[in-house]
Formats: sequence, C-alpha cells, structure tokens
Amino acid sequence: MKKMIKSSLFWMLILAVAILTACTNSDSKDKDEPKTNDTSSETEGTKTDGAATGEKVSIEFWHAMSGTGQESIDAIVKGFNESQDKYEVKAEFQGSYEESLTKLRGVGGTKDAPAITQVFEVGTKYMIDSGYIEPMQKFIDEDNYDLSQLEGNILNYYRVDGELYSMPFNSSTPVMIYNKDAFKAAGLDPDKAPETFAEVIDAAAKLKTDEMYGFSMLTYGWFFEQLVATQGGLYVNEDNGRSGDATEALFNGPEGLNVFRFLDTMNKAGTFGNFGTNWDDIRSAFATGKVAMYMDSSAGVAGAIKNAPFDVGVAYIPHADEVKRNGVVIGGASLWMSKGIAEEDQEAAWEFMKYMTTPEVQAKWHLDTGYFAINPAAYEEQNVKDKWAEFPQFKVTVDQLQDTVPGLATQGALISVFPESRQQIVTALEELYQGKGPQEVLDKAAEGTNRAMEIANKTKK
Amino acid sequence: MTRPSTMTMWRKTVDGRTAALYLLPSIILFSVFVFYPMFRTIYLSFFLTDQTGNAAIMVGFENFVYLLGSSEFQNSMKATGLFVLYTVPITIVLALFFALLANEKLKGIGFFRTMYSSTMGISVAASSVIWLFMFNPSIGMFNRLLGVLSLPQIQWLLDPEWALLSVSISTIWMNIGFSFLILLGGLQNIDEHLYESSRIDGAGYFYRLRRITLPMLSPTLFFIITISLINAFQTFGQIDILTKGGPSQSTNLIVYSIYREAFINYQFGTASAQAVILFLIILIVTILQFKLGERKVHYQ
Repeated sequence: MKKMIKSSLFWMLILAVAILTACTNSDSKDKDEPKTNDTSSETEGTKTDGAATGEKVSIEFWHAMSGTGQESIDAIVKGFNESQDKYEVKAEFQGSYEESLTKLRGVGGTKDAPAITQVFEVGTKYMIDSGYIEPMQKFIDEDNYDLSQLEGNILNYYRVDGELYSMPFNSSTPVMIYNKDAFKAAGLDPDKAPETFAEVIDAAAKLKTDEMYGFSMLTYGWFFEQLVATQGGLYVNEDNGRSGDATEALFNGPEGLNVFRFLDTMNKAGTFGNFGTNWDDIRSAFATGKVAMYMDSSAGVAGAIKNAPFDVGVAYIPHADEVKRNGVVIGGASLWMSKGIAEEDQEAAWEFMKYMTTPEVQAKWHLDTGYFAINPAAYEEQNVKDKWAEFPQFKVTVDQLQDTVPGLATQGALISVFPESRQQIVTALEELYQGKGPQEVLDKAAEGTNRAMEIANKTKK
Repeated sequence: MTRPSTMTMWRKTVDGRTAALYLLPSIILFSVFVFYPMFRTIYLSFFLTDQTGNAAIMVGFENFVYLLGSSEFQNSMKATGLFVLYTVPITIVLALFFALLANEKLKGIGFFRTMYSSTMGISVAASSVIWLFMFNPSIGMFNRLLGVLSLPQIQWLLDPEWALLSVSISTIWMNIGFSFLILLGGLQNIDEHLYESSRIDGAGYFYRLRRITLPMLSPTLFFIITISLINAFQTFGQIDILTKGGPSQSTNLIVYSIYREAFINYQFGTASAQAVILFLIILIVTILQFKLGERKVHYQ
C-alpha cells in the first residue's frame, strides 16, 4: 500500500510539473488565439454582408486608449456614425498597445482582422514588415487626399521611403514640467526654465530640499531616445534604420553618453529622484511636491495642471550644452488599415480616417486628451484658442514640435525590435541609478539591441 | 506452434488493452492541451523565430548556450532561487502555525478558520494591486507607518535590494490561505485516539506535536511543500503587476522572463528554451525532494 501511494504520487507530481510548465509558455500563447477568435466570431454575426442589401457597412476599430482617451474616442466614433448613414464603426478597447498588438498577431492578414487598428509608434516598422496592412498611401493617391493639411513634423515620422503607411492619430512629445512655486522659493526665475543639461543640474541642486528632489525622469526608453535625438544623435545605424535594416545600435555614442552622464551627475549629487517605471507614481510625486522638475509626455500636461496645487510651468526638454537644440521625435500611435478584408470595409475605414483628421474632431481630441492635433487647422478653432488663453502651457508643447529641425535624428529611429531595445535601456538606467558606470551600462544595452536586431534581420522573410 | 503463442499474447495483453481504452479520453485531452504544447515548446527551443512566431532558422542548441552564458538569465535563475527560498519555508511554517491554532476546539473557531484561509479567495491580480498601494513610496501605508515611527523610508519596489523581499512578503501572504487549508485538513484527519492515549500516558503538548502531530501530518506536509515549490518557481502575476521584473532585473523571475521574451520581444525560440530549462529545474528539484524528503514521510 505504502509503495503504491508513493509511486503514484510521484508520477502524479511529474505530470503536474509537466502540465504546469507547459502551461506557462505555450498555453499562454494559445490562450490569446481563442480570445481573438471570440471577438471575431462575435462580430461576424453583426457584420453586415454587403451594400447589396442596402445595409450599413460595419467595421471594427481596435484601440488602446483607456480613461479619458477612450471616452473621447467613443464620442468621436458616435459623431461619425451619426454624420452619415453608409458606414458604422465599432470602437473596441483591446488593452495596452502591447496587448492589442499581440491580439492582432492572431488575426492579422485574415478577413477576421479589424479594419482599423491603433498601433504605437515603435510598432511602425513591425507593421510594415508584417504584411498585415494596406499602405495608407494607396488611398491617399486614389482619393487625391491633400496631405499638406496635416502637421508636417508628424507625417515625417510615419513616412517611410516617401510613403505614408498609416494615418497618424494620437501624437505626443516629451516636455519638461516644473513647479513654479518651488522655483520662486529657490530664488530661480519661474518664467525661465533651465534649457541645457548644465542648467538643469544647477537648478536641481538649488531646488533640492529635504522634502523635494530637483529633477526626475520616468525610467522609460522613450525619454532617453528624445534626449539623444534633440542633440542630433542617431539611435541606430543605416540612417536611423530609414535607409535599410539597422544592424548596429549607435545610442551608446557620445550623445547617449551625455544623457547618462547628465542623469548620473544628479543621481550622485542626490538631487535626482527615482520614482520607477510607473507613470502614475512620478506624476503623483510631482503633484505632492516630491520633485520640482520632471519629464512627461505632452499628453500629461493637462493632468499635471489639474492635479498640482501650485503653479505649473511647461518647458522644452533640455539638451547638451555643446550642441544646439534639434527638437523632439513624435511619439504616440497611428491608425493602420488591414489587408485581406472586404473592399467596402476598407472604404469605410478610409472614410472614418478622413473624418478623424478633420479640424473639428482633432480640436476635440486635443482638448480632451492633450495629444496634438495632427491637423494644425484645429488650433484655429475657437474652443482651442480659448483653452490656450487660459492655459498657455498647452501652447509650449505645440511650439516645441513646430520648432523641431527636421532631420534623421528627429524623424526617429525605425527598428522592429524597439520594445526589446527599450527594455534594455530601462535596465541600463536602473543599473546607472545603482551606481554603475554610464558607458558600461550603455554598452551592455547596445549589445542586447544588436543581438535582437541581428536575429530579427536573420529571420526576416 | 505459432498460433497458440499469438493467442496467448493476445490474451495476455487483454488487460492492457482495456486499460488503454479507458485511458483514451484523457490521453486525447492531455495530448491536445499538454503534450502538443509541450513538444511544440521543445521543438521551438531549437529555432529562431520570425516576427510572427513561426520557426525560421534551426540553430540547434544555440539558444541554450546563449541563455546559460547570458548574465541576464543567470540573474533570473538566481532571483528565482532566492524567491523560492524566501517564500516556501516561511509560508509553510506560518501556515502550519495557524493551522495548529485553528485546529483547537474552541467556540467560534470557524470564524478564525475562515479568516486564515481567506487569502485563497482573492485573486493574485486583485491582491497584487492592494499590495501595490501599500508599497507606494509617496502614499503607501508602509512608508507612512515608518514615518510615524520616525524610521527611514524604504523604496519597497524601487530599490533592487528590497524589491524581491517585498514581492516575497506579498506572495507569502497570498499563499498562506491555500497551505493553511490543506494543512488544517491534514490535522483534522489525525485520529483522536492517538492524542487520548498519549494524554493518559502524560505526554505534554510539544511532545505530542513532535511525536504524533508532525509524523501523522507528514504526507500532507510533503504534498504542500512540493506544490508550493512548484508554484513558487512559476510565479508570474504578482511580478507583472508589482515590478515588471525590475528594478535592475532583481525580480525578473524565470516565468516573467519567458513572458517578456515571447510577448514583448517576440523571441519564441529563446522563450521556449527558457521554458525547457525551467521544466528541467523543477523536475530535478522534485526528484531530489522525493529521494531525500520522502524518507521522513510516514504513511499510515
């Protein structure tokens, strides 16, 4: 009896190990597929088959906006559905950018794919290479759509080899947000934010009190990319990946080193506050007066002004002392049209995208969320002007974008392994804050990025 | 001559064939949901995958060689090992302590039994979010408490020295409920007569604990230790919510590292290789446990 229990228990556990280990990897991979299948079969019922019956063409729009962004999108979609009677758009929130991209991988290129998907900027190269999508340029040419009405600096990012593959939608750039009251208390001019690395280091030292750090930055690769780009530095070779597949990371060069030294100096001086990788943590630290200056997205300006009980200033991001400012790279996401779906669905998607870029919609979007209007005519709308008069801080974000010097650096890098590379930068920053040398941690991140790019290039179809 | 011998073969295996028939449904289910994914994982671990996750280039053992030489993966293994050491023994000792308390026959003990096992009823995600708030450096309860006692503030989840400990503390809390319940069940199964006769013999509480309770509980203890170990090796949810593997990779346990490799970096090859290594580690630990630990287990 004893022996039997013993051996059967043993084999049961072996099996349990096998099951559980298998579950942790393959299962979660498989799990996503049924999920996407579910959503597609759901909509199959609602999908009206054809204009022949005279019914509306119904399409899906997958997005990754939660909170105020989602409310605004729902209102915009409702406005579109009511503005005409041929098409109907269904907006569906699919989780974070990463999650929705993973779901898209399950159905991409098939007729079950959503007509429109919102994909973050660093997924651009991946989407182009995936073969899931119909380039936007096709519809622009067929419809003689006038692209010049859109913001040039934003198009600049999404244009690859002269072609526009996706329609820009929500765009943001980084800004430096600061506490004007703390500036006054420290004897600094609250209307003139520090502009260069040295000035920021200086100001941070003056602003530091027992309660408050001078400067902080979210531990996120995007800010590092921006601080490199504003010095004119490239992220990867092959003209930032724009003239060919990038093979080597360049961000561990002098520009990247400038950024890491800048952060390292403040960290060692104790004037830098590390609030981790969570946007909410750093924002609440600013609002509760634990840090005087920090870098945020332009989409965070509205929240910062609303939540802070003190006067909030918004400034351009700092740059290294020895170079002039180049400006910022566009961030955010764009809208992609699926390939392999019915033609009338694509038409519906195109109509919706045109609607999204109208000044009225863009003005609403800008005011609701703080994202840029990709159609600058929106800034001429009365409601935008009123808001700007009340909060001049909003204008700074637009000025910074329009002051940007177009070039390879500010066009932004194009690599398919961006999410992985950003992870490497996060690790590098964390190690820097723990006291490792700037060059050492940067080189390690570059090495990791190189390997990722090498594999991506090798396995590319 | 051959004919009768085949007949006997056919007859001899009749039990085996009947067994196979009965096992068929579960074999089919297991094949679809366990064996296929498992073999697929092993297969993929020898490949580099393209961006859609299909096997693209056969690389043999290169993924494994790369992983074993990579400082990041070594760090993951170390973090996982430490995490197991921090969580498993403490969870079980605490759960055993609570189970012994709750096993006493007192008025209203049902209330305490419910309380002690209640963490089982909260999902990992929900409890992680609660802990996230408690660990928050600006508004969290723990730092406020330290402030009241005028102790220095701790960056619970941001300091690499503390992050793994913080995650371990929350994990211990989450797992106590389950271990408690199983151990309490084991305690209730122990024959009352054993205690009665020992009491007549004049044995004290701790003597009874050492000589009766623990030996009689040993199969349950053995079971819960094994399951806890396997679970600890596979921790994912609280890592994803509390730290996302950071800071400085200090909480990048193997399963989280697999997830990141597969679903953020889209490298299913290296992710599968990590899964295979994890499988081997758990297998070895479990075998060792059976070889070493089972000698102490007393089956009635």
